[in-house]
Amino acid sequence: MAGLELLSDQGYRLDGRKAPELRKVQARMSVFAQADGSAYLEQGNTKALAVVYGPHETRGSRSKSLHDRAVINCQYSMATFSTAERKRRPHGDRKSSEMSLHLKQTFEAAVLTQLYPRSQIDIYVKILQADGGNYSACVNAATLALVDAGIPMRDYVCACTAGFVEETPLADLCHVEESGGGTSLSLALLPRSGNIALLQMDARLHQDHLDTLIEAAMTACKGLSKVLDSVVRQHLKEVSVLTRD
Amino acid sequence: MKLCVPGERLCSTEDCIPGTGTYLRHGCIFASLAGYVLRKNEGEELPVISVVRETEAQLLPDVGAIVTCKVTSINPRFAKVHILYVGSTPLKDRFRGTIRREDVRATEKDKVETYKSFRPGDIVLAKVISLGDVQSNYLLTTAENELGVVVAHSEAGAQMVPISWNEMQCPRTHSKEFRKVARVQPEYLQA
Repeated sequence: MAGLELLSDQGYRLDGRKAPELRKVQARMSVFAQADGSAYLEQGNTKALAVVYGPHETRGSRSKSLHDRAVINCQYSMATFSTAERKRRPHGDRKSSEMSLHLKQTFEAAVLTQLYPRSQIDIYVKILQADGGNYSACVNAATLALVDAGIPMRDYVCACTAGFVEETPLADLCHVEESGGGTSLSLALLPRSGNIALLQMDARLHQDHLDTLIEAAMTACKGLSKVLDSVVRQHLKEVSVLTRD
Repeated sequence: MKLCVPGERLCSTEDCIPGTGTYLRHGCIFASLAGYVLRKNEGEELPVISVVRETEAQLLPDVGAIVTCKVTSINPRFAKVHILYVGSTPLKDRFRGTIRREDVRATEKDKVETYKSFRPGDIVLAKVISLGDVQSNYLLTTAENELGVVVAHSEAGAQMVPISWNEMQCPRTHSKEFRKVARVQPEYLQA
């Protein structure tokens, strides 16, 4: 970690944030009319677009359908212009497949799939600009898209990353902080119950620091859930004004 | 009316009965959709609490539901249909269904000829008997008086008029064709 100071002596990070501060989150729902549900979310400079189709009949072979619940099919892809250097393979590579699988596992925990046996729900997420926290932005955007589609869920799913620098946990890492070589933990949380839908970390971390890191990530997720909540309520008010009953 | 979001605690099971758009957890009723909370008194002891949205989410055909479908192909053993409406709600996407030969009528099931019961292009009222397994689609039945063909076109192209439970007549050529006709309820008939 030569040269780049992820946390200064006064406690400021590279982009001027304090350690537990989140980036600015802006989101919009119902951006597409053709899809059942859609949402656009910006978390700092990371921009993600999520589209939901369903529930509908299982496409392709019927053997993929489950007799008692719906199958959730996720596809994660990055736009070729999303990274600093043009991406050659936007989807189909191993990282995208792994992300798609993680998204699928996350939403199978939150969506009430038993209400739709023998059907399929499709979630497509595309990263338009990648600046760290790709998985988190995808999960947050997909949550809004699912709420927009009217698919019953137990709770919001909020995701955030957390890192560890000089005994201090950092919340919501940007790309430079993630690739700095330090620890990076991604957490997807159902905020009201505090249940963890997905926890992922690929770096080395001492066992003693794990609890503080998970705590920091959970606090960040709960803060994010408040933002998503206000976006949903605002959208509901706007829609009801247009279709006044 | 109050707005609610997924995961919001509405009330406890002692105050209300859960309806659509809600789920139960630890003796409390939580919302599962984003919309308006509706409390209705159904006549039982407790009111029913449900969450409604302006745009209805996709409805799925459920066992016992009356569906409106269009026949796409026929076969001596069964007829394949596309399910278009569930009750009176149109579906955004077509679901595929099958009406087996033995489910066309209630009586004389082995003497049924699908060619004399349905033709491709007919609109049929049917009931869902099963969601189907891995190999088959939704299984439907028309083995009731109120189920069967409602709209059919003759070989000449005109819409036919039903004359009995198994015959329809073309108004242009006056030729009779065999169909398993639905006895439409009197309140749905226009004068």
